[in-house]
Amino acid sequence: MAVNAKIIKRRIKSVTNTKKMTKAMEMISAVKMRKAVETVLNTRLYARLGRELMEHLAHLNEPNVPLLEQRPVKKVLAIIISSNRGQCGSFNANLFKKTKTIFADIESLTSFRSEQGIIPSQEKDVEIDVLAVGKKSVSFSKKQGYTVVAVFDELSEKPSYDDIRPIANMAMEGFIGKTYDKVVIAFTEYQSSLSQDAKVRQLLPFSSRELEKMTAEIAKHEIKEDVVEDEYPIEGYLFEPGLDTIVEEVLPRLVEMQLYQGILESSASEHSARMVAMKNASENAGDMITELNLTYNKARQAAITQEIAEIAGGAAALE
Amino acid sequence: MITFKIVTPNGVTYEDEIEKVTIPTGDGEITVLENHAPLVSTLVPGAVFVHKNGQIVHLAVSTGILEIRPNSEVYLLADTSERAEDIDVERAEAARARAEKMMKEKDALADVDFVRIQAMIERETARIGVAKKYRDVK
Repeated sequence: MAVNAKIIKRRIKSVTNTKKMTKAMEMISAVKMRKAVETVLNTRLYARLGRELMEHLAHLNEPNVPLLEQRPVKKVLAIIISSNRGQCGSFNANLFKKTKTIFADIESLTSFRSEQGIIPSQEKDVEIDVLAVGKKSVSFSKKQGYTVVAVFDELSEKPSYDDIRPIANMAMEGFIGKTYDKVVIAFTEYQSSLSQDAKVRQLLPFSSRELEKMTAEIAKHEIKEDVVEDEYPIEGYLFEPGLDTIVEEVLPRLVEMQLYQGILESSASEHSARMVAMKNASENAGDMITELNLTYNKARQAAITQEIAEIAGGAAALE
Repeated sequence: MITFKIVTPNGVTYEDEIEKVTIPTGDGEITVLENHAPLVSTLVPGAVFVHKNGQIVHLAVSTGILEIRPNSEVYLLADTSERAEDIDVERAEAARARAEKMMKEKDALADVDFVRIQAMIERETARIGVAKKYRDVK
């Protein structure tokens, strides 16, 4: 009995330590989350205006713009934005589950969506390469058997625009060089500290259909008065200095913008998920400590009772 | 009235209903009045002058995108943007000097670095210009 109490005591100590740790992590995540959420909310209008412009530009009927070209999809580049570290609940698991489901549906992955409806594809097999952002997506891709072409796992907590430029460049070069016929981005959209949504979206070629959906989603939790405008024809637009310059300078920027937003959304989601996970862990540890304390007291009491019984028994035997 | 917004990755820096605005574009400086035709253009580092009720607001912007939508909505998607009164001229000049020094030191610079430093110099020059002009006017 005495041994039992000792073991329980040790467990109480260990759980208390764990609780301290999870509590500390919770507080750190809360601070990081606040910053990340602020950043992401600040960027949202910028990203939304950029997307709306992108959506208009997708209507351009210009066959010679490489970033708008739709061709049969044989090879897909997936930019998967995960966290570097674990301890964040189902954050990575949800993202990978979503990614897996979408990649399993080859028909939908290889077809293009437009106003005229879905352009189906005949591709039966598609090769998937992964550009991993975050260490977790590397191990996921390896497990799934995708080729990992590049890893970016050293982004700071608050990535700057310059940090993501190499990623965007890689995606665009791969697409223009026809190595990849489609570029998708998998990230987690921040809804609130309690809910985050894993999303997989087409980045290249520009697609108006998907972007419209995306804009609507953004508009939903946009606090400002902005309403998504009606469609107006891109033909009515003037381009200065010329369409070529716009295509050359503006389109890559829009791609970067979208990637940037994806990374910020993921970062905000990650910290929220971690905070909630750690909060739950602390609560569970607290419950466990209460329970263990109870068991410990019972064991202690039982030991005392037994000891008394033994003494009484011994005394009775002497008489 | 024009609905005018300057939006950067760090949030909205200017937002108002205005009468006219002068914007530095890749094709030269343009002034936008009400009911301008829809337009997409590039933004170059320089000064933006916002006219409202006879007042002029001076702002510095760096590279970005300009979009004019129908119904007199003008949006600047800029990398950075500041009001003239917020610019610290001394620090801006120091930043420019630093960038220029970097440019001189490394002749065999990689293209990317070269472009970046060039952009930095342009941006700081624009900021200094805006801030100085604002001071003179005042």
